[in-house]
Amino acid sequence: MRDRVRRLVEGARAAIEANRRRIDDLNVYPVPDGDTGTNLTLTVRAVSEALAGEGADDRAGLAKEVARAALMGARGNSGVILSQIVRGATDALAQSDDLAKAFRSASDAAYRAVKKPVEGTMLTAIRAMAEAAERDPDLASIVAAGDETVARTREMLPVLKEAGVVDAGAAGLVEIVRGIHAVLSGEAIAAPAERVADEVAIEAIHQELSRYRYCTVFVLEGEDLDSDDLERDLEPLGDSLLVVGDRSALKVHVHTDDPGRALSLAVARGVVDGVEIANMHVQAQQREERLLHAVPDVAASTSSVVAVASGDGNRALFESGGARVVDGGRTMNPSTSDLVAAIEAAPAGEVVVLPNNGNVIMSAEQAAEHASKRVRVVPTRSLQAGLTALIAFDGEQDAEANAEAMAEAVASVATGAVTVASRDVELNGVSVDKGKWLGLADGEPVAAGDTFDDVARAVLERLLTEPRGVLTLLTGEDPPALDALLAELAEEHPELELDVHEGGQPHYPLLLAAE
Amino acid sequence: MADDLTLDLELGRLTIARDAVAEIVAETALGCYGVVGLSAGTRVGRLLRREGISIDGDARALRIELHVVVEHGLNLAEVAATVRSQVAYEVTRLTGFGVASVEVVIQRVRASA
Repeated sequence: MRDRVRRLVEGARAAIEANRRRIDDLNVYPVPDGDTGTNLTLTVRAVSEALAGEGADDRAGLAKEVARAALMGARGNSGVILSQIVRGATDALAQSDDLAKAFRSASDAAYRAVKKPVEGTMLTAIRAMAEAAERDPDLASIVAAGDETVARTREMLPVLKEAGVVDAGAAGLVEIVRGIHAVLSGEAIAAPAERVADEVAIEAIHQELSRYRYCTVFVLEGEDLDSDDLERDLEPLGDSLLVVGDRSALKVHVHTDDPGRALSLAVARGVVDGVEIANMHVQAQQREERLLHAVPDVAASTSSVVAVASGDGNRALFESGGARVVDGGRTMNPSTSDLVAAIEAAPAGEVVVLPNNGNVIMSAEQAAEHASKRVRVVPTRSLQAGLTALIAFDGEQDAEANAEAMAEAVASVATGAVTVASRDVELNGVSVDKGKWLGLADGEPVAAGDTFDDVARAVLERLLTEPRGVLTLLTGEDPPALDALLAELAEEHPELELDVHEGGQPHYPLLLAAE
Repeated sequence: MADDLTLDLELGRLTIARDAVAEIVAETALGCYGVVGLSAGTRVGRLLRREGISIDGDARALRIELHVVVEHGLNLAEVAATVRSQVAYEVTRLTGFGVASVEVVIQRVRASA
């Protein structure tokens, strides 16, 4: 029996693989990211791979195994819906071969998991097939009913009508059922397309937009590099992973929400070069605009931001604000040439640089002189100030106008920090011993003590002397416990919005900004 | 923080209330496959939150957080990923605002039927 199920799933897999690209191209709903065919293929493939091994050979056991493989292997929205359809179908097939019951159970399961079902999608297709199965439990007529429904999806969902396409998920689902039918009726299955992993051309894999935000590409140079090992470590970070090259140089491509982490993994193994990080959500959005409105070009930005940051979390914060980040390292001391390189690589003709540390302002100004672009430096002295500046940034304005607006934003913010005194310092005429907690407000020492909480409280008091709307907290690489402090704050300042992020910066367990 | 979000456009400014954006987030999330409900958050700052939805940041870089209830038996990571991408996409499509992040908290898993 296992062998029979294996052959049926194989038919489904071959059918969806053969149609993967076509279905990817249909994908305009719910998000036009062109990955429905790929997601369905990967989900079916997970089931086929699970069955390839040894396992149950009885009806109930196989039903359970298939449902579980679909659940675990579900990729993307369409994959999740498919896994639920598979679960419903296998619930019924565990009892008998009754197709009407199997399709009905699949349809019911699919609808059960959504609050507001949208018609003109996979849901409509599975329901239509269930209705057809109840009229005549013959797979050929069920597939025919599926085909008819797919054709009608164009009229059911306005976004499909505008784009002039049928629903990708519905089309994929019918292909899967068609593949199973082909096995049962002994018809030939269209030759499966090559497997995704076999296609090593980066351009090709690039076409598969993913659910992750950043397309990250870089070259890693080193000695005795192990591509499999790197691949294993990068795998959990995202998808569309590709590592090619030899033991001395690897080209890496990955779609991820955390490019910083991918780079750190690489840096631990060798020297990283040629880093390119692109925001794919912007790309997908541009594709959608082309599809739906035929708008020619999205205006390029007039200016862009280069920011110095340390800590993975801070880096991600700056990147999500659209800045190109130069890693300041543990000492926040990037070279002028790193800064010049980032300025030249920034995707606009004018650039605003945020040094984010008093010691970097000079290098930033030197970099501004050496760069070929028009550059303005906003002399931010802390990461928090830099973030505030970034929020005031507007890519459509030139660097000059931005620098002005950003400096103004920085001036309205009070910054604070809690750190450990790295040497003996004088505070209000009292000396603070090295190793004690030290609180800073706008760069000046204002408090010292034996416990983190007391010092943090003193700094907060300073920052909140005038009414503030938002308090941003960036925790460091050794994050302190903030729960008690946050609860007190919420009590004493109910109007204050607290915005806590894991910054990951070295030396400062807590950085604060009050706006 | 002001309750309205403003974006400068060519002939004037576009202002949309945070509540309206939260409304879009709620509608979109409820339409996402696997989501069977919204849940009130448990974090600090609940005052500003509507049904467990918070809209932080400004019009160029919204930071959205929402709390959802998901049907039992689905791949939660994939459902959360779908909610993230669908919410970010719909908010940008309908408002023109930029979305910097969408944090999805699966507050409960519900078994129906």
